Parts: sequence; structure tokens; C-alpha cells
Amino acid sequence: MSIEFKNITKTYDQAPVLENINAEIENGEFFAVVGPSGCGKSTLLRMLAGLIDITDGIIKINGKQINGLAAKDRNLTMVFQDYALFPFLNVEDNIAFGLKARKMPEEEIKKRVAHALEMVDLSDYKERKPRDLSGGQRQRVALARAIASDAKICLMDEPLSNLDAQLRVKMRSEIRDLQQKLGLTLIYVTHDQIEAMTMADHIMVLNDKHVQQIDTPLGIYNQPANEFVANFFGSPKINILSGNYQSNNHEITIDKYLKIKVNKKLDKNDYVVGIRPNQMDFETIDNLKEGNASVKNVSNLGSQTIVSALLDNGQTVRIVKENQLSIAPGERIKATSRGDAFVFDPEKRNLAAISVGV
Amino acid sequence: MKNQKRVIYNLIIVLTVAFLSLLPVSLLGNKQASAADNSKRIKIVFWHEMTGPAQTQLNEFVKQFNKSQSKYQVVSQFEGTYEEAVQKILNTHESNTSPAVFQSADISVSQLYHSGYITKVQKFIDKDKSFNVNDISSVARAFYSQKGELLGMPFNTSQPVLYYNASLLKKYNITPPPMNPSYSDITRVAKQLYQRSNKKVKGMTMEVYGWLFDQLIANSGNYSVNNQNGRLATPTKASFINSGSLKAMEWIQENVKSGDFINYGSGTNASANEMAAFLSGKLGIFMESSADIGQLTLGMKNQKLGVTYYPHADGQKANGVAIGGAALWISNDKSSEVQQGAWNFIKYLESAKNQATWQKATGYLALNKNSKKTKTLKNLYKKNPALKVPSEQLAKTVPNNSNSGIFVEGIVQERIILNTALDQIYNGSNIKSSLTQAEEAMNSYIKNNNRANGWRY
Amino acid sequence: MEEENNLLDAKKQNILENSKKSILANKISVKKNDKFYALLFLGPSLLLLILFIFYPMLKTIYLSLFLTNGNGQNTVFVGLENYVSLLTSSTYLASLGSTFVYVIGVSVLTIFLGLLLASTASKNVRGSVFFRTIFSSTMGVSISVSAIFWLFIFNPSIGILNQVAAFFHLPILNWSTDPNLAMISVIISTVWMNLGFAFLVLFSAFESLPLSLYEETAIEGVGPVYRFMHVTIPLISPTLFFVSIITLIESFKSFGLIDLMTAGGPNNATNMLVYQIYQNAFLNGNYSQASAESVILTIIIAILTFIQFKYLEKKVSY
Repeated sequence: MSIEFKNITKTYDQAPVLENINAEIENGEFFAVVGPSGCGKSTLLRMLAGLIDITDGIIKINGKQINGLAAKDRNLTMVFQDYALFPFLNVEDNIAFGLKARKMPEEEIKKRVAHALEMVDLSDYKERKPRDLSGGQRQRVALARAIASDAKICLMDEPLSNLDAQLRVKMRSEIRDLQQKLGLTLIYVTHDQIEAMTMADHIMVLNDKHVQQIDTPLGIYNQPANEFVANFFGSPKINILSGNYQSNNHEITIDKYLKIKVNKKLDKNDYVVGIRPNQMDFETIDNLKEGNASVKNVSNLGSQTIVSALLDNGQTVRIVKENQLSIAPGERIKATSRGDAFVFDPEKRNLAAISVGV
Repeated sequence: MKNQKRVIYNLIIVLTVAFLSLLPVSLLGNKQASAADNSKRIKIVFWHEMTGPAQTQLNEFVKQFNKSQSKYQVVSQFEGTYEEAVQKILNTHESNTSPAVFQSADISVSQLYHSGYITKVQKFIDKDKSFNVNDISSVARAFYSQKGELLGMPFNTSQPVLYYNASLLKKYNITPPPMNPSYSDITRVAKQLYQRSNKKVKGMTMEVYGWLFDQLIANSGNYSVNNQNGRLATPTKASFINSGSLKAMEWIQENVKSGDFINYGSGTNASANEMAAFLSGKLGIFMESSADIGQLTLGMKNQKLGVTYYPHADGQKANGVAIGGAALWISNDKSSEVQQGAWNFIKYLESAKNQATWQKATGYLALNKNSKKTKTLKNLYKKNPALKVPSEQLAKTVPNNSNSGIFVEGIVQERIILNTALDQIYNGSNIKSSLTQAEEAMNSYIKNNNRANGWRY
Repeated sequence: MEEENNLLDAKKQNILENSKKSILANKISVKKNDKFYALLFLGPSLLLLILFIFYPMLKTIYLSLFLTNGNGQNTVFVGLENYVSLLTSSTYLASLGSTFVYVIGVSVLTIFLGLLLASTASKNVRGSVFFRTIFSSTMGVSISVSAIFWLFIFNPSIGILNQVAAFFHLPILNWSTDPNLAMISVIISTVWMNLGFAFLVLFSAFESLPLSLYEETAIEGVGPVYRFMHVTIPLISPTLFFVSIITLIESFKSFGLIDLMTAGGPNNATNMLVYQIYQNAFLNGNYSQASAESVILTIIIAILTFIQFKYLEKKVSY
């Protein structure tokens, strides 16, 4: 089941919320739609589901235009953020609800429900009401419902955001496994970049009504199309710093120790540079008059240490080191780049150049 | 937080001060009120149930009475409907809130007589040479008397009469009914009106109202309960089925059948609907209290109102109808001084002049025989001769046990029971069986009431 | 992993269970001091209950065993005679019957129309705010005003209803005087009066329905009728249950409209139990009879409420 968005636009009361969305999703693909809240990602999902009208553009499923087709005829399922379980029905009946409404034969319903319950490992809970289940169990009932419907397209709208952190990690892999096992084409809406990175085959980044980038997780990480995408992905957050371009040595200078080599010729004087925290380094300096920054804050995570420091020119940087450090706020350091960095156009904020290696 | 606390404190202080400042007022309220009056005067509390213009006029009488002498101070208090007021009177007796003199309606005569809570006005009449009781209408007196003694003084008095739209009759060229009409006279007019108006105007109605039914019985010389309406001895049975009631109900059903009769049901809405239909020329004839006459003359600006006596059966003389309205009663739980003051106030209200003023202001009939000589009434009748008819009916009636009301407790119940029967009869039920049911219901009521009072049953 | 999860759940349940037990245990070993405080805190409300609920209730039962004389005093003890005479009186039984017709008519229509209006108004169409205000506005109308309003509509000669009927050459009906029509007209007016409240409560229930459930049904391809019966009704069932009980009890107790519109007539067709109590107590002064009627009415309402709780509540999902 392939899906195609062509020049999709959505307006509410003449105010556009999505403009010119284009995307192609392959059969069996795990496709994540990521963006900050209010970027229109749920709207896009609901247009695909047939729950809201498409203002302009075309959506195709398997090459067939489905604009105007009723939701029920699009042969897809949806898992909601709040799971949309009927509180008055037990687990079994919740899963069977849609099948009964479609007047499926009793035997078939039974078979499918049992199978779906088995898939999500809830067979022992089929008599329970949703209120007697934990958050993770409710989530799995919602999944079971999607499984039972046998549709090959599944839409998920922030399905994990109501769960605690540990459970979220666990469910991520469960959903991914399920998607693979059933061969689903899965459209997964989330605001959590880690979910998208860890689960998806492709990611669509949405912001400000427009598609910012569509790529594989690594593609997005390694070649962000613009400053927004670079900023949105990666943890801790990328450092965005301003610097001067010197055409004579193809170098951008942020301060006296922090310099970036650029792989091509640029035509402006000022650029914005993005350096991921793990692409920065520092050494401690004893002399207070030396170095280029002072340590402001130190977070020891065990496997790594995150140091945030204030450059002498007033910009703040985060630096990640893959070991445990004993360093205290106030200490002088000399912050440098390891080499990898993104150079963004100062006005358009899109990628102008990539720096690899010093 | 701090601010909130302060607000609450302030609120508490304000409320406490308000409470404390109100406390003495409520505690001393009574004292202050009497202190404001002339403290030497004896206070006479007067309960009444008058509304509208009658209330205004009554309060005017109270004011004038207080001005006319310096010994008593009458304080009038409105107490709601007749039914509510009598309960309050009985329930507050011998408490300090009970009235010295009160207005109580025709329905409560027997109840008040047996209550033991009243001083018969006869006691004062016998002592007071200045008051000639024969000046007061004998029919009205008979209603509020038992065994030759006047219990309460009739005050606001009405009689049922028959109203017709004279202009409407003229328009359709119909001869008006005579002054003292028989059932067939009315049927003729009602049918003609209905037919000649192409069924657009209904001929007649009689509200579903037990009082009007009892009056039809009275006008036939029969009784609604046994022992001559309870005048000879405590009644033990209802006698709703008699030659008078049967003829009357047959008359009604005849008109129902021929379609000229319209039923407006019972209660205040029924009378309002009936009045509205009559005033808008959609109804030719109805029977109601003479107290409506003021409202009718006001409402019929461009039409002429016709009034006749209450109708009677064919081939039989009218026995006369009983009065309605209310009387003034004196409570026996007050000192003789207060009771004397109450009597003086009653006497004042019954004067020829005041009764004439009362009729002009309210439409209730002047009970003092000398009132008709006053300028007030003479002018009134000259201006609108129709207003004279009820007074003449009253004056012509010779009182007997049939037309002096029903001396039984539970008239309210009787009326409810009769309303049910009338409703059934208007809707075509068998007259006798409907009235039998009514009798049975009333009999069991009378029986239980007699038992509760420790009387023969 | 999953088993672990289940185990965890089981553990949680255990802890809950234990904490419940310990609370119970605490209850059993209440100290004397606690009893004093319990009494101290319960005292005022207990006193008010005794003063304003229990005492009048017992007194009513007591009064119902006597006969009342003309002065309103209870003189002769007659045991259950008042009850016997009531339950064998054809007027009382007729009144009982008409009360049931009225109560069922009012309750069913109020809930049905309330549901209809609430579901209509909850749709976000142009002007729905205006209609919400209109639908709930009867809450702000006093009984007397609405009685006059409806009387004007039902008036046999000048009423709007009959004038409209005459205009279209339809039969003229005597709304307030024909026994059956009077019952219908009283039911219509009462439903109109009650509708504002029922609408408002049901509407708020509709407004709080989770959108996702409806999106789910759209995707599952559930028809509107099936959706209403199998999704909406169960979801609002707690509110529906509440409204039905309130409406039932209120219509048993409704008095003002009847007093003003028909005063129990015509032919006792609208003489409901409450109105009879009023007639007996406040017009006739027959307190014992009125007391007996009150006791019977209380028992009826109690039984019906009990039945509602017992059977309807099972269908309610919270």
C-alpha cells in the first residue's frame, strides 16, 4: 500500500495550516511525521484518514485518488493518542467493535480478536474494562484493534505520548516489530524526535506549514536541510553559533580557538554554524587569562558528561564528552571543534555548506 | 493569600455588625411599631382577603375609621385566599398573632360556628341599641345565622346572576331574555345566537363550579345536604340528586347536545377564559357572581351588557339564590375591650353610606337597605341601570333554609366533588350516576368529619 | 517483559487491597476520642436532619393515623383507615393513574427531546450558539409566566392554537376542558418547562464526549444510528441516568403549572397526587388525609427510585 501526497493544502477559515505538502510513502514503510506541536502533522494524518476535508491537492493510495472517499472506505486503521477505547466495553468487545459494526460473521470476528489479543499478549485480559488496565495495556488494546481490522495502512497519532519514559522505550520496539511482522504501511505522527529516529524508515519534518525535509533518520541527522531540522534532531541540542567567513583560507571563525574549515567557496561574510555537542572538544586551562570560555554547568550522565560553557564573545556552547569528568563551574577552558559542522545561510537559514574534518 | 484573608476578615466583621444592628430591631420590632402609634389606643388586628380595588377601598375604610375616633386603632393585614386564611385563623387562635376581627368566606360558616373560636355578633347586636340589624339584608343575614342568631356580619356580598351580550343579541335580531328567566328562555336565546351567527358565537356556558350548581338547587327550593341544608341538625348525607338539580343538569345537557354550550372547565382560568370569550363577542350568555359586573362594564366599552336574575326551571317560581362573598367575624380570644372595638369597626363598615361606597368601588352589593337612598348609588344606577339588577334580586328574595347557603363543614371538598360531577355531566355522562358518585364521595367525607368532631353520623 | 508487567500489575493490586484492609482495620479500632469528634462534626447536620427531615416524616406518619376535625385538630385514632379509604377510593386511584400517565409522559418526552436538542446543538454549525441559548432559556422562565404563556396558547376561544387550527380549517379542540387534551396540554407545558434543564445537562455531556472515539467510529465505518445507540448513549449514560431520576421525581412533585393551568380539572384528569395533597391540606384543612397521601407518595417515589438505581444503574457505565 503506497501513499502519495500531492500539493496538499489545508486552510481553516482562510488561514492556511498546511501548504504544498508533497510526499511519497512506499508499501510497508514506517513513515514518521515529526514537528513541533501545532505544525499541522495531526491535520495531515486526519486528511489521510478521511476525518477532515482536503482543501487542495491530491492524496493517492496505491495510485488511486482517494479525495472525497469516506473514511471507512479507505481501508486503514488509526491509533489515537488517548487510545479511543470505549470505556463501557471490555477489551474483547473494544477490539470487536468495528468488526461488528461492519457486520462481519461472528466466527471471523472471534478468530481475529483472538489473534489480535495474542499478538499484543493480552489474552488474559480480554474480560477487563479499559479502566482496569494500565496505560501500556490500554495502548496495546488500541494496537490490537488495528491488528484485528486487517487493514494494511495504519495511522498513529502520538500513540506513546501518554506513557512513562520506560514504557515508551519498550512500546517503541513492540510497535516496530508489529509493523514488520504484519507488513503494515505505518504513518506515525510524533513530536518526539527520538521516536522518529529510532523507529522510522523515513521521516518527514514539518514546521511552519511546510515540509522542511524528508529523509532517512541518518540523512536527517547528517545532512539537515536547514537550521530548524538541525535544531530539532539530536540530543543534547546542536550548538548554533555565528561566525565570520574568511575567503582566503575557507574558514569560518567563531572565536580565536573555535574555527570551522569549509569545503567550498562561500560568498557572504557572516554565517550561522551548527556544531553538534559531540563534535566539540575542550581542555581545561589553569591560567584564568587563557582559554576562550568559562564552564557554566556540568551534567554527569555516567556514560557521558555534558558541559555548558559561555564563550568570551557571549555565545553559549554545549559540549559532550564520552567519559566521566571532574570539572566545576567557573573553570576556564579552551573550546574547540572536532571538525564536523553545518554552515547555514544567515538569512534563509538553509544548509550552505558542510564541514568535515579540520 | 494575605489579601484574601483580609477580605474574609472584613467580610466577617461587616456581617457581624450587620447582624448585631439588626438584632435589636427584630427583637424590639413590635414595641417600636406600637410606640409609633398612639400608645393609648387599643389595637384591633383585622385580617382580610381582599385584593385589587376592594383592598384599596377597605384600607381607606380602616384609615377613616381610625380617624373617626380615638379609642381604637384598626390594623389591617392581608392573608391570601379565603381557603388559606381560614386555616391560619384556626391555627393561630389563642396565640398572640391571631386577629381580633377577620373576614371569612361563605364556605366557612359551619366550621367557624363549631370551632368555638368566635363571639357571635348577635351578642353585640343585642346590647347595642344604636344599631338596627333589620337595616341589613335579611337574605344575607340568614346565610350567616344559625338557630336565629347572627354569627358573623355579612360584608362583601354577591349573588349569582346571568349575563348576556345585549349588543350581540340585537345584531342577530334576538329578543333578550326576561328579567327573571326560565331555563327555556335561556335555551331559546342561546340556540338562536348559535344558529344565527353561523355557529361562530357560542350560546352559553356555566363554569364548572359547584357554587353555581348549589345555587341552581337553591333557586328550585331544594337542598344540597340533608336536614334542610344542615339548618335543622348536623347534616349526615348529601342530597345532590333532587328534582331541582336533575332539571338543571338536563337543561345544561340539552344545550351541550345542540352545540350552543361551551365548556371552559373549572378554576380561575375557566372564569378568565369565559370572561375573555364573552368580552370578545364569542360567547352570548354566562352565569357568574354579580361581583364581576364592574369588570364587565369596563370591558364592554362599545357593547351593551345585559343582566338578569339567576335562571329557574320552567313552570316553577324562582325560590331565590343564596349570597356569596364573606362576612366579618369576631374572635373570642381577645379581651372584651378589643372585641367591642372590633364590633364598632364592623358597625362602621355596615353604615348605609359606607355600604354604598363599597358597592360603587367594588361591585359587591350594598347590604344596608338605606344605601339605595344615597346619592352614590342613585347616580350609579342612573349611569348604568344593569347594575341595579343584582341588588333587586337580593332585595326580592325571601330567605328560607334552601336559599341561605349550606351549613356543613367541608364546602371546599363539596365543591371539588361537585366540579368532578359537573365535568362528567358536561362531557355527556349520565346525570344520575355522576351525581350518585358525588353524593357517595361527599357522604364519606361528612361521615369522617362528623366522627372527627365527635358528632352523630 | 510482558509477564513482568503483569506481575507488576498484580503487585499494585495487592498493595491497593492491603491499604483498603488497613483502612478498614482503622475503622474498627476507633478510639473513644474519635467517636467524640465524629459526633461533634456530624452533630449539626444530624440535628438539622432530625429537625427538618426525620421529625416531619414521623409526624406525617403519625398524623395519617387520625381523623382531622374542623379546627384542624387530630381527634379520633383510626389506624390505617385513611390508607384503606384512599386505596379503595376511585378518585384517588384515578389520580394515581393520571399521575403515572403524566410522570411517564413528561419523563420520556423530556429525555427524548432533551437528547434530540442536545445532540443537535452540540453540532458545530452556524447559529448553534444562538440555539443553545434558546433551548436552555426555559430554565429562566418562572412557572407562573410559562403557565400564562401556555394558557394563552391553549385558550379554547382566543388561544393561538385554535386560531391557527381555524385558519387551516382543522378541528377546534378544547384543550383545557377535554380531559384527555388537558392532560396532553399539561404534559406539553411541563415538558417545555423541564426541557431547559434536561437540555443543559445533556448538552454538557455531549460537549465532553471524546472526539477521538467519534473519529474511531468514522474510520470503523459505524452508521449514525448504530453510533448513537452503541457509543453516544453508553457514554452519556451517567448523565442520562441522573436526568431521568431528577425528571421523574420532579414530575411527581410538579404542582405550580397544574395549579395555574387546570387546578386538577377537568374532571380530575390532571389531579395529580401532589395536587390532591395540596387540596386536602391547604384548602380542606384535612391534614390526616393529606398526611396519608404524602406517605403513599413518598413510598411510590422511593420504590421507583430504588428500581431505577437497581436496574437502570447496571446499564450505566462511569
